[in-house]
Amino acid sequence: MSSAWTNRLLFVTALVLAGIYLFPLYWMYVTSLKTQSSIFAVPPEFLPGVPQWQNYALIWDVANIPRYMWNSLVIATGVTAFTLIFGAGAAYVLARYRNAWIDVALFLVLMLQVLPPSLMVTPIFVGFASVGLLDYPRFGAILAISAKTMPFFIILCRAAFMTVPRELEEAALVDGNSRAGAFFMIVLPLARNGILVAALLIFMQGFGEYVYSASLIADNRLHPASIGMTNFLQPNVVNWNAIMAFAATYVTPIVAAFVLLQRQIVNGLTAGALK
Amino acid sequence: MSRLLRSLRDGIGFDTLLIILALSYLFVFAGLPLLYNVIISFQRVDVFSLGTLWHPFVGLENYERVFSDPLARRVLINTLIFTLGSVALQFTLGFAAALFFHQRFPGATWFRGLFLAGWIMPGLVVGVLWNWLLSGDFGVINHVLRSMGLIESAIFWRSDTAWSLYAVMMANVWYGMPFNMILLSVGLAAIPDDLYEAAELDGANAWQRFWTITLPMMRSTIGAVLALGVIFTLQQFDLFAAITQGGPAGSSTVAQYWSWELSFREFDFGRGAVISVLMIIVVLFVSLIYVRSTRAETRL
Repeated sequence: MSSAWTNRLLFVTALVLAGIYLFPLYWMYVTSLKTQSSIFAVPPEFLPGVPQWQNYALIWDVANIPRYMWNSLVIATGVTAFTLIFGAGAAYVLARYRNAWIDVALFLVLMLQVLPPSLMVTPIFVGFASVGLLDYPRFGAILAISAKTMPFFIILCRAAFMTVPRELEEAALVDGNSRAGAFFMIVLPLARNGILVAALLIFMQGFGEYVYSASLIADNRLHPASIGMTNFLQPNVVNWNAIMAFAATYVTPIVAAFVLLQRQIVNGLTAGALK
Repeated sequence: MSRLLRSLRDGIGFDTLLIILALSYLFVFAGLPLLYNVIISFQRVDVFSLGTLWHPFVGLENYERVFSDPLARRVLINTLIFTLGSVALQFTLGFAAALFFHQRFPGATWFRGLFLAGWIMPGLVVGVLWNWLLSGDFGVINHVLRSMGLIESAIFWRSDTAWSLYAVMMANVWYGMPFNMILLSVGLAAIPDDLYEAAELDGANAWQRFWTITLPMMRSTIGAVLALGVIFTLQQFDLFAAITQGGPAGSSTVAQYWSWELSFREFDFGRGAVISVLMIIVVLFVSLIYVRSTRAETRL
């Protein structure tokens, strides 16, 4: 078999594999555009009929989508801001030095990365309740989620800082910059891409977060879209077109960001994940 | 004072400040809860005593009540099945996919990247999608299995006690597979090509090359990926919340879900904390293995 044919065969196999893997996403969009009767057709209609765009319009207000999306946005923004402000500097220091103290700090960060939120939320809830932080539930959730995302962010960012040549920073110091000046003017801009990808991943995590928000936020008006979906699911459990329209509205921004930045996200992940 | 300020701006004080910022944040919002968790596992904490920092101590009562709970055995077995099953399948499928995309054909990297679309989705949405895919009467999965002749009648994945845990496991394998694949791809890419060329000259076939070159060279990567797989699977919560909610009759309850249920459904935070403490010990032990295997690879 010539190599051109091998390539073609591999290409088609890859296409089929990706198609099978991404079927759940396809099924979400197709279901969201079906009529109530065609979602229950036997056998299932794999190709979309006449798209029922009004499914999206119908749930928009009924399911409080604007409010839920806004809350998710607030939480994701807050988490990203906290994680960036507290984490970026630490990632830089961990990339710049190599000694026993740095090893200890790195070890601590790696160990804190693994704590399951569903287990940490019990002491955090009890602690927040006793110091009064539950009176500001969205802020409390942001604080708790940031503690979860920060170690991962530090690991990814550290890899980005490692790619910045030390000589450039030293040259800036020779030119009369202070350490702080060289960090903000030289190192940060040079590591910008890696930091932005890491921040985007953190933003997505904050946008889709569920456990902390569901446990710390009691007021439904402050709930993010992840909880909005569970609230919507229970009373509408047969309206799968409406539920899938909710899901599609929720994840389309994430999927779009992923499609646009696929290469950068994969590169950022592979650079940081194992180092 | 001015010397301190200068050091903060232009000396070792600058680095110290940066690292202290992050570590103190993590200490307050992760370290303190860890310690507090141990304390409240020995206390009676209910809705009435929530507002205070200290609660009445009850000794080992919470631990005794957790271990004597009729659900405890079921949960332990479920956690083991779910974790080992998920990790084994994610790893095998992820490794197979990584090997497949390692063959350099046009578009291989791009196709491989597509799979991460699953991994970046919110866990709760993945759960809701699979809830629909696994629906008993109108689910696509039942339809496909039936038309392939694999099953006679519809399986009620979410409401059948024999299947509910595996329903969540299926979703979890789909969700976690891409991450396994990407990490293993990185490991594969790091193996020098000339090793394979030399082996080929010596007459080793593909199978022998895999066993004598690929696997030994990937040892530390495989260790890290397996450990991470266990860690991420023990973190999985959203899929349970969206697909089975631990039911029916506890048939798909795993430890991390049980802990949350005791705390936030039964408002018995003491017992929730007991499971939390025990599971965190397990997680930290596994992560020691993970940190060790990454150290071996890159010398942190």
